[in-house]
Amino acid sequence: MGQTLREIFKLFSRKNLDSGETVAPVILWPGPRCNPGRKSGSLPVRQAGRSNGRPGRGVGPLVLGLAGMVFLSTGFFSCKPAEKKIKIALAMPLTGDIASLGQGLKRAVTLAIEEANKNHLTPQPLELVVFDDRSDPREAVSVANRIASDRHVVAVIGHFNSGCSIPASRVYAQAGLAMLTPASSNPELTLQQLSPQWVYPKSIFRANTTDNVQGAFGADFVSSTLKLNRVAIIHDKSAYGQGVAEEFKKQFELNKGVVTAFEGLQVQDRDFRSLLTRVKATQPQALYFGGMFSEGGILVRQLRDIGFKGPFVTCEANYDPAFLKVAGEAAEGAYVTFLGSPPELLPTAQEFIVRYRERYPTDELKSYDAYGYETGNIIIDAIKTVGTDRAKIIEHLRGIKFTGVLGTTSFDEKGDTLNKAITLFQVKKGAFVHL
Amino acid sequence: MSIFNTLIEQLINGLTLGAIYALVALGYTMVYGILLMINFAHSEIFMMGAFVGCAVLTLCGALPAPLAMGLAVVGAMIVCGLAALGVEKLAYAPLRKASRLAPLISAIGVSIVLQNGFFLWRDDFLGFPNVIPERHFYFGPLHFSLIQLIILFSSLILMLGLWLFVNHTRFGQAIRACSQDREAAGLMGIPVNAMISLTFFIGASLGAAGGILYSLYYGSIKYNMGFVPGIKAFTAAVLGGIGNIPGAMVGGLILGMAESLGAAFLPQASWKDVFAFGILILVLVIRPSGLLGERTAEKV
Repeated sequence: MGQTLREIFKLFSRKNLDSGETVAPVILWPGPRCNPGRKSGSLPVRQAGRSNGRPGRGVGPLVLGLAGMVFLSTGFFSCKPAEKKIKIALAMPLTGDIASLGQGLKRAVTLAIEEANKNHLTPQPLELVVFDDRSDPREAVSVANRIASDRHVVAVIGHFNSGCSIPASRVYAQAGLAMLTPASSNPELTLQQLSPQWVYPKSIFRANTTDNVQGAFGADFVSSTLKLNRVAIIHDKSAYGQGVAEEFKKQFELNKGVVTAFEGLQVQDRDFRSLLTRVKATQPQALYFGGMFSEGGILVRQLRDIGFKGPFVTCEANYDPAFLKVAGEAAEGAYVTFLGSPPELLPTAQEFIVRYRERYPTDELKSYDAYGYETGNIIIDAIKTVGTDRAKIIEHLRGIKFTGVLGTTSFDEKGDTLNKAITLFQVKKGAFVHL
Repeated sequence: MSIFNTLIEQLINGLTLGAIYALVALGYTMVYGILLMINFAHSEIFMMGAFVGCAVLTLCGALPAPLAMGLAVVGAMIVCGLAALGVEKLAYAPLRKASRLAPLISAIGVSIVLQNGFFLWRDDFLGFPNVIPERHFYFGPLHFSLIQLIILFSSLILMLGLWLFVNHTRFGQAIRACSQDREAAGLMGIPVNAMISLTFFIGASLGAAGGILYSLYYGSIKYNMGFVPGIKAFTAAVLGGIGNIPGAMVGGLILGMAESLGAAFLPQASWKDVFAFGILILVLVIRPSGLLGERTAEKV
């Protein structure tokens, strides 16, 4: 509730660009904002509804309500003694189709920051400021602008979708703010920093492997292990889904395979039977899907429903319990590639899993949470070593050699992690089994 | 042969989809017929139907599948019908005398409130209990799955029931009278408010049944699942002539067919919506009142 109020308050407030602080709007009433002795009922409310000379019927209560809301928020947040905090921003999809993954990452990063604060790893306590990009590129850019203009933010963890990360990354780079993504895998995200037109600091980093590694891995698997040479490809037209599908196609054609169809689907659509019927008519031996579990689960279900029996191969965004839940029996036998190694299989991550379960007993561990925890710790390590200067943090990340739950993370000249493992799973009896 | 087979399969896909659209479109069209407002909260009633159905099916997991299914459909129809009554009383009835825009905006508000209410409860995908066994039927080149037959059959029964109710009962007659002229109907002793409530109840319960069939077909439910089918069903209602009950059925079937044929033969399957909405625009340009809508002549 406090968070919501604060958001509402921010909407109504002007940005004071000098200090980076938000200041209260002084439109509703004058007078002291921080007067604990005064009850909200006795506020000297200026008669806003009537100031235009007309009887303001119905406006008065509204203004009073708004006034009350602003009062509450300012009352809560500006009466505290000014405590200097180091802010780390987290920008994730917290609502929308893949909210569950964003929420999981938020929990993991929160855990990392709580632990750092408990152990006093940094000179001042760390604060995580959380933003919701709703998986929407436009929203991501607006969130990025809000983050970049807050002087107290020293680094950003995010975004989730490549389609959000790529446009937002420019905003961060312009502001000289380090951005570390725990999940976006489109190669373009970090590649853009090497182009001659890139005049900003090289501030974009990524803790996970990229689609070209994953797509090529999937293609090699289909052509050499499954020994199939006709594949239909479906993607979700997002920077991520289409990206990985194109990498798959490139490698599969290099392997002398035939791509019988390369089709996009509409995210949020639920009816893929027509698309699948059309794809089936091209007589593929297997189907590759590049996209999120929200579509993947339904896709494989309808694929089996129209009577296609060949293997279904897909990418890491489908390594999620929701994929199994949605697809039901139809998921049986599906192959899923995963970026890096899942925490359950990493000896270094066992302690993290235990702590996560302790802290969040009712929530399940999502597939990217280990990445979230890792990125949180990488940023904390940077702050611990070089302090809160944005440029110094970027410089530190460039040369970092960090050992954590995922093993050792260091970045190449693009900003991609050198930790490039891919794992393959198959769904057996309703669970992902490591092959 | 292969193209022919694909065509037949696509038509069956379209027919199934269209039947669901038609079922949901009835809710939009009936409310529009009687109140001249578009009930944008209907797509959330659809979503609510799926959730209630899911809850009942989960609770009745031990019962035989047809019985559990029946309970789920009836339960969801009643619960959603009552919810729609509540929404009508709280959000629309007080605005009955306001301008036509006010209840429309109120409906959008209700839709957002309901969606976020369910979001707070479950923000993730929920698997819909898979009570219908996977079975396929082949009639020559025709290939139906059991679930498709069930959807077609049950929506047909519901629509037939509605048709009988509206045309052959006193209540149906009263509803038709209200939609023709609310004030005159009131003067003739018809309890107009009760008839409006009845319309909301019926429309919502058909929408809820549509929600269950839809989630049986797609296997998962989510708080924002109502939006896309809601828009499509609304489009179907407009296509058939909003306010016209057979129009909504025809519009739904045509929209479903248009989508799946579009997906079959356009260069990109994802252009199917363009095709479906293109047909809508074409119809509205040529025949602004929709396919079966009446042309209301203005007397000069």
